[in-house]
Amino acid sequence: MLKAARQTRHIRAQLVTDSPLRQADPRVCLALSLLASLAIMLPMSRLLLFVAFYAVLLGWGKLLPMALRQLWRLKWALLFLFILDWLVVSLELALLVTLRMTLLAGAFAFLVNTTTPGELRLVLQWLRVPHRYAFALSLAFQSIHLLEGEWRAIQEAQQARGAWQPRQWQGWRALPGQLRELLALTVPAIVLTTRRAWALTEAAHARGFDAPHRRPYHRLHMSRSDWLLLITVTLVTAVIAIPFP
Amino acid sequence: MSLLSATNLSYHYPQNGRGIPPTNLTVAPGEALLISGPSGCGKSTLARCLTGFIPHLYHGEMRGAVMLDGLVTAVTPLWQLSEKAGLLFQNPAAQMLTETVEDEILFGLENLGLARAAMQRRLEETLQQFGLDSLRQRDPHTLSGGEQQRLALAAVMARRPPLLVLDEPFSMLDTAAAAALVADLQALVAGGTAVIIAEHRAEYVHSLPGLRHMALGNGHIASAMPDAWPFAATDPLELVVEGLRVERNGRTILHDLSFTASGGQIIALVGRNGVGKTTLLRALTGLQTFNGRIHVNNNTPDFGLVFQNPDLQLFNASVRAEILYRLPQPDLAYYRTLLAALGLTAYEETPPLLLSEGEKNRLALAVILMRRPRHGILLDEPSLGQDAAHKAMLLRLMRRIAQTGQLLLMATHDLALAAQADRLLLLGPDGFVADGPPAAVLADPIPWQRIGLRVPNWIHASSPGVEEVPRAAQAATAPGY
Repeated sequence: MLKAARQTRHIRAQLVTDSPLRQADPRVCLALSLLASLAIMLPMSRLLLFVAFYAVLLGWGKLLPMALRQLWRLKWALLFLFILDWLVVSLELALLVTLRMTLLAGAFAFLVNTTTPGELRLVLQWLRVPHRYAFALSLAFQSIHLLEGEWRAIQEAQQARGAWQPRQWQGWRALPGQLRELLALTVPAIVLTTRRAWALTEAAHARGFDAPHRRPYHRLHMSRSDWLLLITVTLVTAVIAIPFP
Repeated sequence: MSLLSATNLSYHYPQNGRGIPPTNLTVAPGEALLISGPSGCGKSTLARCLTGFIPHLYHGEMRGAVMLDGLVTAVTPLWQLSEKAGLLFQNPAAQMLTETVEDEILFGLENLGLARAAMQRRLEETLQQFGLDSLRQRDPHTLSGGEQQRLALAAVMARRPPLLVLDEPFSMLDTAAAAALVADLQALVAGGTAVIIAEHRAEYVHSLPGLRHMALGNGHIASAMPDAWPFAATDPLELVVEGLRVERNGRTILHDLSFTASGGQIIALVGRNGVGKTTLLRALTGLQTFNGRIHVNNNTPDFGLVFQNPDLQLFNASVRAEILYRLPQPDLAYYRTLLAALGLTAYEETPPLLLSEGEKNRLALAVILMRRPRHGILLDEPSLGQDAAHKAMLLRLMRRIAQTGQLLLMATHDLALAAQADRLLLLGPDGFVADGPPAAVLADPIPWQRIGLRVPNWIHASSPGVEEVPRAAQAATAPGY
């Protein structure tokens, strides 16, 4: 049932609909993301190998262009981390930390682009997370894509009243003014986010949220190809991670 | 036997002491009740008291008792009350909890604890009943406002509560979507569901059979409008828009739009949701990149834009700080005039976030007016969720500013307000489909039909002047209130 819905539903733009990984059971998607998140503990040489393997996996899943776009957005943060670690500690650590952050960002992008918030909720419930927490988490996940639009709307509204201007760094003397401008953006952002969260809470309660006799409609189903994918990726990761004599 | 009864019910919010005075009411199965009154009079608060949201989700001082189908709301869990009374909110987009239309309806059915086969049956029946079958796999966030409101109604009614309470359900809908919602409500009442509608736009629901009225509050705004706006008339100005074309995300929003407009006028811009009204306003203020040319007397336009949602702009600690923010040498006499004209004098030191929605809208307007844009003011849905008193005040203010030779352009769904403008521009997906004096444009149904809108009959029945728009608060109140 869930499988059919995953194939036919009108998917939000951020999902990569033609990815074979998008067709996988959401538990597989979550497991593969977690696997990559754990792999950041590997030492440099093995980490490089795993990143290459993960890139191949994303490439097969038609997710590589999207993952690269996400990383491009993070370029300044990654560059800052790299330079800081290089100057303060060493070039090797700088490379290692940057590679770890890149992998984490890739794993997150993988999850966001293959799994809907509703599917995430089903997985969390399967993991025995209480429904109210699973629901809250999936709603937060669902709201991520709304934040960008709201932030832009606030910027425009403040620009229209002269309380904020898009501008570059103007030096330390201008910092207090720029911080004040940031306040003009963050206060409305907090207000809007709180209001949206409250509106969703009320809407959920209007439809019986927290009823003790709740019965879920959708069921998860692992197909043979799901098992095959999960086992293959786990085995390859194990080969990369475990130091054989 | 009443389905719902409230006895000496009163409530006050802890933050600002606002709320509802002692109220009594009863509703029988299959009855329709309209609770009308101005913005901030407590309609939404009463709706939440009647459905048990107060006191379960809101802290504050509640007195009296509400009995819902034999249950005392104050001591019955909210999930149990939601099986007896469904509550539909003002903003349809803010009620969407899942990623497909199907899942939206299933959310409430899962909470009823039904067997899977029963859920499937109810789902199909509900999709058919509300005409949502063709949209079943759509993401609710991609639906129009009217479709979202219908889905929210379907999701609540799939649980088959004997009572439905609607909190200002028409405020964000265009006339076509509002008419569709009224038809749905008529069908529900005919089917035996009791319906309570908290709404100040009472004109929409007069067609409900056996409708009773209950009025709350008086809606007076303590506004002192000056006889003439403090600034002298500007030179005659002419706005010229030539070949305006806006594309966003690969979609053309505005197609080669051209028009001219003279100062001293109030112009209403009307069209369906998503047709590009807000985009046009953003282009006129330079917030939106575009192809084409926009100028005022061959200069770059300088318009102030008042946004639909005041919460996007308000962040200071007081009304005074908000209005005077970043003005090095503010004209304090003008500031006082603005406060008085907009009925904000009493709130000068109040934090903006504690104001009512109507007061916040007036404050956002004051913020823009204080900046004194040279060519005029653009307003995006200025009457959204606002009552007749607010609209009347807004219209008086716009007239005063127009007298100085400035241009006022408002994008609106509110045809009662649009009818008071000097000119009405009707915008369709391919450009303007009508342009002229509001009376003439409203009298011709053909362009409205072309873009899927309709002019309700009550527009023709009401005489010019927003003050004359029928107000349910003044209508006959049923005995017993």
